Amino acid sequence: MNPRKLLFTAMGVAVALLVAACGSTTTASNPADQTGTLTVWLMNGSAPQSVVDGVNADFKAKYPNVTVNVEIQQWSDVTTKLDTAFAGSAPPDVMELGNTLVAKYAAAGALNDITSQKAGFENSGTWLQSLTDSCTYQGKLYCVPYYAGSRAIIYRKDMFDAAGVSVPTSMDELLSAGQKLMSKYGSNPNFSALYFPGKYWYAAAPFVWDFGGDIATQSGGKWTGALNSSASQQGLTELKTIVSQLSRADKTGDELKQDQAFAQGHIAMIIANGWEVGVITDPKSGDPSLASKLGAFPIPSHVAGQTAPVFLGGSDLGIAANSKHQDLAREWVKLLGGTKFQSQMVTVGGVIPNTTSLVSLSSGLPAIFAAAAKTSRFTPNSPNWANVESANVLQNMLVSIFTGKSSIADATSAASDKITQILNG
Amino acid sequence: MRAAGQMSAATATRPRRIEAAPFRQLLVRKGLPYALIAPALLVILGVLGYPLAMLVWLSTQHYGLRELFQHQGRFAGLSNYATILADPQFRYALEVTAIFTLVNVALSMIIATFIALLMERVSSFVRVLLGAGLVFVWATPVIPSIDLWQWMFDYEFGVVNWLLTRIGAGNYIHHNWFENPLQGFTVITVVVVWGAIPFLALMLHAGLTQVPRELVEAAQIDGARGWQVFQNVTFPTLKPLLLILLSLSTIWDFQVFNQVWVMLDQRPSQDYFVMSVFSFQESFRVSQYGLGSTAAVIMVAILAIASFFYVRQTVRSIEEFGR
Repeated sequence: MNPRKLLFTAMGVAVALLVAACGSTTTASNPADQTGTLTVWLMNGSAPQSVVDGVNADFKAKYPNVTVNVEIQQWSDVTTKLDTAFAGSAPPDVMELGNTLVAKYAAAGALNDITSQKAGFENSGTWLQSLTDSCTYQGKLYCVPYYAGSRAIIYRKDMFDAAGVSVPTSMDELLSAGQKLMSKYGSNPNFSALYFPGKYWYAAAPFVWDFGGDIATQSGGKWTGALNSSASQQGLTELKTIVSQLSRADKTGDELKQDQAFAQGHIAMIIANGWEVGVITDPKSGDPSLASKLGAFPIPSHVAGQTAPVFLGGSDLGIAANSKHQDLAREWVKLLGGTKFQSQMVTVGGVIPNTTSLVSLSSGLPAIFAAAAKTSRFTPNSPNWANVESANVLQNMLVSIFTGKSSIADATSAASDKITQILNG
Repeated sequence: MRAAGQMSAATATRPRRIEAAPFRQLLVRKGLPYALIAPALLVILGVLGYPLAMLVWLSTQHYGLRELFQHQGRFAGLSNYATILADPQFRYALEVTAIFTLVNVALSMIIATFIALLMERVSSFVRVLLGAGLVFVWATPVIPSIDLWQWMFDYEFGVVNWLLTRIGAGNYIHHNWFENPLQGFTVITVVVVWGAIPFLALMLHAGLTQVPRELVEAAQIDGARGWQVFQNVTFPTLKPLLLILLSLSTIWDFQVFNQVWVMLDQRPSQDYFVMSVFSFQESFRVSQYGLGSTAAVIMVAILAIASFFYVRQTVRSIEEFGR
């Protein structure tokens, strides 16, 4: 062996030993000796407090000297806060990200690549496909699926009975049921058969998808806005008819207060997430006496007997690339994403869990929402999608359509151009 | 003798002092003010100059989210300016902001002048009451007050809709004030003018007390009526103050942000994009910090013009009264 080769070999061995040594110290170190503070950002309304407390208690049992700070963020301004936090030197270690936001942060290098650790997470083999997709950017995994939600129609069984209508199985039946409800209760100026605030994009998307339309299509790496297609316009025309006849909600308003409005008792139907049942019947913000009067059914398709595809919303749990406690962050995520607490998310929180193996736990109303998610769709998976959301492109389009400020053809073509521009930006 | 000796000694040193004195005096006379102003100048440079320089620098960069996280932008020259000036949305924002500023400045100045003149004439009890009311309005924190206005103009439960319907002004049940941008901006104007009046009225009231009583009386003896007195005596005296308040109002109304942003639930439609909202949207919503900064730089440039009149008037006032 010549000297140079010897030197290289020696160096190689030394490096290998060093790496091994480092590795072994990390794994061998006693969890009880770990110290530090783990900062976690969860979104308002995602996990019930009891679940968060349970995760923290289990975490504390293993790492008694680590403090966990769970901070609750609001959806309305979370992207601004995340941008600021990621730009700084100390972002939160773990953060819940809406599934449409992940691509943006993954592409910007803010999230830790956890592809190699995937097998270490419980149920990672049976994670919901669409959530796993939302966590995947350029073939790498950047987050752990947290929970999913899909929308269905929550309705007042008592009002349906009084107006003599049954659960609609097609869009036409939805309209005629709503018309009957309007003639029964419509003398109350605040009554809406289907309360539909003008900016409620996620409730409008099923109408577009149901007629075969889409938000944007991708071919050869280039996105093209598709809301101006005739199928999309057909769906929006149907929606406009329904909204103009059945809804007295603010045509420029958003859906943030629809549960409080529903709880006041002069609304027969809303398009809502499963967890919103809890907000409607909450003793503080809603009306618990409505609990027994609530029912749910999937948004019907224009084809009788079928259901319209819904947007599969949900959240993922990401770990900041700059986090100083990567290992601890992963441990915390493993707990919240694991079987024990995901089961509680289903039974207590009423959401769709991150794994198909636990979906069967849901019963009652949540089961209807879980079933509605079977035909689900997702927004264009592009890092620039979040900018379409932030720029309110879809909301502005809907407001223009509902208020009659522009024709459906004009509004959709303007929105489509804007989407093409932003997605390819 | 000793005195003479000292004298001669002094005489002997005089030539050197004559050489040194003007320089030292010059240094003290010219340099001392700068030395005294230096700490304040440093603070101003640090607090205002540095962010402004950063803003201008950022406007020449391609600076998106990735660049933000890596603290490293890409130089883009003046392309951001070209992009933004070609953007119809930006031109719309510029126009709307100009009209909005004009209307708001005019309304707030006129109403404030009327209130100030009113305060001159009413009894001292009413004057104190009026002054207290103005101070209360001024002391109300901005965000809660906008929230209150928002509630009053609420679509479903607003007292304005209820009242207008009640007094027979038409059917305002479920009237949306923000559906039509003209109505929406009218509501926003009400809120902005309401918030601007206290400061302006109190300043003008203070200014009015400086109008020499004897001049007003002399004018009245010469047969001048109310409007003539205002035109020929009061207005000329108030003119410097009016100019300063006009520049300040222009600056405030041009950069109005909170009233639009909070009133429209932080999601204004594009009809409501005034310059500041446009800049915020580009920066913090669409993460195009370079473009957002460019919009902000253009705003600063326009405001610099308004500030020019303000500074010039301030300098003139100092020259007139300072001596």
